[in-house]
Amino acid sequence: MKLNIAHLYPDLLNLYGDRGNIQCFRKRLEWRGIECEVTQYLQGEEIDFSNIDIVLLGGGSDREQEIVCEELKKIKKGFQEYVADDGVVLAVCGGYQLLGKYYKTNTKKIEGLEILDIYTEWEPERLLRNIILESDLFATPVVGYENHGGRTYIGAHQPFGKVFYGLGNTGKGDYEGVVYKNVIATYLHGPLLPKNPHVCDYLLQKALCRKYGEDVTLAPLDDELEQKANHYIVARYSNKGNVLQETIKRHI
Amino acid sequence: MGFRRNLVIRFSKWASNMSQKIRGGQGVTLPGYIARTLDHHILTSLSNDVRKKTFVVMGTNGKTTVNSILYHALAAEGEKVVINKTGSNMLNGVISAFVLATDKKGRLDADYACIEVDELAAMRVLPMLQPDYLVLTNIYRDQLDRFGEVDITFQKVKEAIEKAPKLTLLINGDDVLSYTLAQESKHDFMTYEINEQIFDDKSRSEIRESIFCRKCGHKLEYKFFHYGQLGDYTCPHCGLTRPAADFAAENIKLLGDGSSFDVQGRHFETASPAPYNIYNTLSAFSALRMAGIEAPHFEEMIANYDYANSRESQFEIAGTHLQIHLAKNPVGFQQKVSLVLRDEKPKDIIIMINDEYQDGEDVSWLWDVDFQYLENEHTSSIITAGKRGYDMQLRLKYEDIQSEVTLDMKNTIRDCIDHRTNNLYIIVNYTGLYSTNDLLKELADEYAGKEA
Ligand SMILES: [Zn+2]
Repeated sequence: MKLNIAHLYPDLLNLYGDRGNIQCFRKRLEWRGIECEVTQYLQGEEIDFSNIDIVLLGGGSDREQEIVCEELKKIKKGFQEYVADDGVVLAVCGGYQLLGKYYKTNTKKIEGLEILDIYTEWEPERLLRNIILESDLFATPVVGYENHGGRTYIGAHQPFGKVFYGLGNTGKGDYEGVVYKNVIATYLHGPLLPKNPHVCDYLLQKALCRKYGEDVTLAPLDDELEQKANHYIVARYSNKGNVLQETIKRHI
Repeated sequence: MGFRRNLVIRFSKWASNMSQKIRGGQGVTLPGYIARTLDHHILTSLSNDVRKKTFVVMGTNGKTTVNSILYHALAAEGEKVVINKTGSNMLNGVISAFVLATDKKGRLDADYACIEVDELAAMRVLPMLQPDYLVLTNIYRDQLDRFGEVDITFQKVKEAIEKAPKLTLLINGDDVLSYTLAQESKHDFMTYEINEQIFDDKSRSEIRESIFCRKCGHKLEYKFFHYGQLGDYTCPHCGLTRPAADFAAENIKLLGDGSSFDVQGRHFETASPAPYNIYNTLSAFSALRMAGIEAPHFEEMIANYDYANSRESQFEIAGTHLQIHLAKNPVGFQQKVSLVLRDEKPKDIIIMINDEYQDGEDVSWLWDVDFQYLENEHTSSIITAGKRGYDMQLRLKYEDIQSEVTLDMKNTIRDCIDHRTNNLYIIVNYTGLYSTNDLLKELADEYAGKEA
């Protein structure tokens, strides 16, 4: 078996260690003896979605996102059809915003891919902190770090998770991200996948099933270390004293 | 000088003294806080008393070293210099440096001031300080969660510079971000550059930040890369091109235990083999020359300059050589990886990652460092530590690099001294620096006691 992973515009959308997500996909396939080919698509390159099994759309600065916006117009139709055909997508931060209708920054309105019925508006206060989600898709919590100026309004979409600790889509601490067909869109850096191998395997499984049929199952891996790193964050914010301490630190 | 200012200074010093006695702290920011609360104009007033010039050093990496070289160079010419110490580069720290430099009567006796300023603090410090020269070393991604992103740092620095109209800039011309900033500002500026390819692949990494032209958004083309975004760039669309250098390092030789290079016909030999210290030395020397200072003793000073003195330190404990290295962002960490690899003796490596506010709470940046080189025949073991020790171990796991994790730094270092290669590198991010330094001092005493 083999998966083709497309990393879109890594030179523009490559903030905050998001290439760790690619490394996580790659290694967790390799460790199971499954082949993996990662292709980086740069500005101006043609993209043939029919040969792609997973798309990673990362985050960039607002300035870089404006540049990407022009690129996206060229691939909009192909991308929409790929998602409609159950193509697997991981979109993080800026990538998440770009899947929606638009992102209104303090100076401009950036047009999105219109794959999700969501929109984002910039506010001056940046939302920065560790974040923990409880997701209906997983028994294990999802941990990461959020760092965004945009507030994303997801309408009737299903969120990726309920916020256990952190601020989430609009800063209110209720919900975070979107799950739609085989798309996970989220603000979580960290990078997302290494400390959440369950999310990585979920996406890999979806991609393998789409390509090779429903009966594909992933061999288990030794995830003791991944679990420790994940649990460290969960334990830290399950302790009320720690949460209080961090809240106080933030306000002095 | 006013009677009131005198009183403010004396009270601030007294209070800081008391606080140090009570808490045993460093007391490097408290006098500044007190003095500023009592007198809003204290910094402007004190800096006006500097007889000749005030230098400010800013930039993501290297500012402490550059500022320290500048200080030592001026001191070597017999000048009296005010300098702020490591960790006091915010407003209160800068004011403290001036307050603590006054004599008993509250008078400042200084020819020059060399002040390192944090990029975010610059907005408040520069208007009060009104420096003559600003050395900007580079603008990289740093402590991401604090700054948001590199564009925000760029804006903040630019706004700060605009509030200091008499300032002349010295920038690293190899850094397209610094150059664009200098062009966008209304200030006069000069540039320093490295014209030769001296950095290896391992120090270059894959990090390609801001290689897009800020003017027109097109991708820059590079004739050669140093590391980070540093190199010889040109924009094929709008013509933005690396400027000709006012000060260039030439004939660079990197040796096992040092380096040598020439600037404007002067020949320098240093005790640091690290390529980034060529930049640091070059920028300090260029700053002096820009200010019209001949600095005839620079050669002698730099030959004896201890690059490891300020933020990094070395220890010999019971036959083991221990070195602490600070790495607080991807570009800096990649440089350290390259430095460690230059040492071909067997070694153990401890990597300690904390996530306090000063470190940056977000440790995602570890995934922007190319660690795959770290494991080679000279690396005996890698141990991860700190609050995010598991994160660091996980980073290595995804390069198929085996490592151990420790929750007890002291015993682990003891184990390295007693049972391992006698050559230990400890790479830490910001807060780990102080705790590890203290720990090694304790261990040095402990082992000295054992031998006695
Ligand atoms: Zn251009």
